[in-house]
Amino acid sequence: MLRTLLRTTRLAVATVPKIEASCVRQMSEVKNPGLVMPKHGRGETEEEFDARYEAYFNNPNIDGWEIRKGINDMQGLDLIPEPKIIIACLKACRRVNDYALATRYLEAIKYKCGKRVKEVYPYILQEIKPTLDELGISTPEELGYDKPELALVNPFDIH
Amino acid sequence: MNSILAKGLISQSALKKVIISQRVTERNVLVAIANTFYGRKQIGKREVVGFGITGSYIYFDKPDFPMPAIRFREDDDYIKKLREKEKGDWKKLTIDEKKALYRASFCSTIAEISAPTGEWKSVAAGVLFLMATSLWVFAALKIFFYPGLPPTMSKEAKFRQLREKLILQVDPIDGISSKWDYDNNRWKK
Repeated sequence: MLRTLLRTTRLAVATVPKIEASCVRQMSEVKNPGLVMPKHGRGETEEEFDARYEAYFNNPNIDGWEIRKGINDMQGLDLIPEPKIIIACLKACRRVNDYALATRYLEAIKYKCGKRVKEVYPYILQEIKPTLDELGISTPEELGYDKPELALVNPFDIH
Repeated sequence: MNSILAKGLISQSALKKVIISQRVTERNVLVAIANTFYGRKQIGKREVVGFGITGSYIYFDKPDFPMPAIRFREDDDYIKKLREKEKGDWKKLTIDEKKALYRASFCSTIAEISAPTGEWKSVAAGVLFLMATSLWVFAALKIFFYPGLPPTMSKEAKFRQLREKLILQVDPIDGISSKWDYDNNRWKK
């Protein structure tokens, strides 16, 4: 009895590191599947970030819900997305057949450019121009959405 | 419960059924209440399309959360036709149709949300009005209510105080008395 107990303990002690090592190997082999942030203790390089979001939007089974989540999440970060991420997102919008999403996303990008909109926004438009032409997406400027189109009554002034 | 079982008034399986049916009723009531106040009954037939800001079925235009949880409009016949057309090539959509699709999903464009409202003018007017009022009130108090300055603030009183300080040799190292020439009875040069 005692001998078997000892043997199993020894076995367990011997196998735990092996299992851990194999887990670590597996985790490093699997690419980041979604929007899961890397665990603390390890930073994420910009390339990894771009690849993560690009892969997220390139998911062929993505639905409108996930696109919206990705856009809302990215809108809260201190960055302007790379053109390749934007292209992936626009193509995702095409796959879920939601035109309004694409326009709204372009507007959101423009808002994200902040004070440097005159430098950054033309660059982004220039980079994503082929995709826009391919998918038939109009820029907010072409729709007249770069300036306020409708003036809504302030709800506090209605009564 | 145990006492009921022990007396043999009800079998265990029957009791279980009663409890389960009670719980189902309670849950249904709770769900109904939640739906009435927070649920999809409040949004009509508008499509729920995402998580939005808080996860509630709320439409909210906000540039840092550009995608609200629900569409802005219910689909009418025109929009339904457009949604069918949207599944085809987007190059065939006209500008007006694109705009209609956008306004079906969203209320305001981001340019409209972030347009200046001119509200700062009324705020500035209010602030300046309050400041002017308080100045007038202060002036009125000064003229009609407050007594004048105390006698120690008169020129003679101040001169007297200075003289006493010099006589008492207040602060003789580097203060006021160090500057008085006591031999010649005048300020040092």
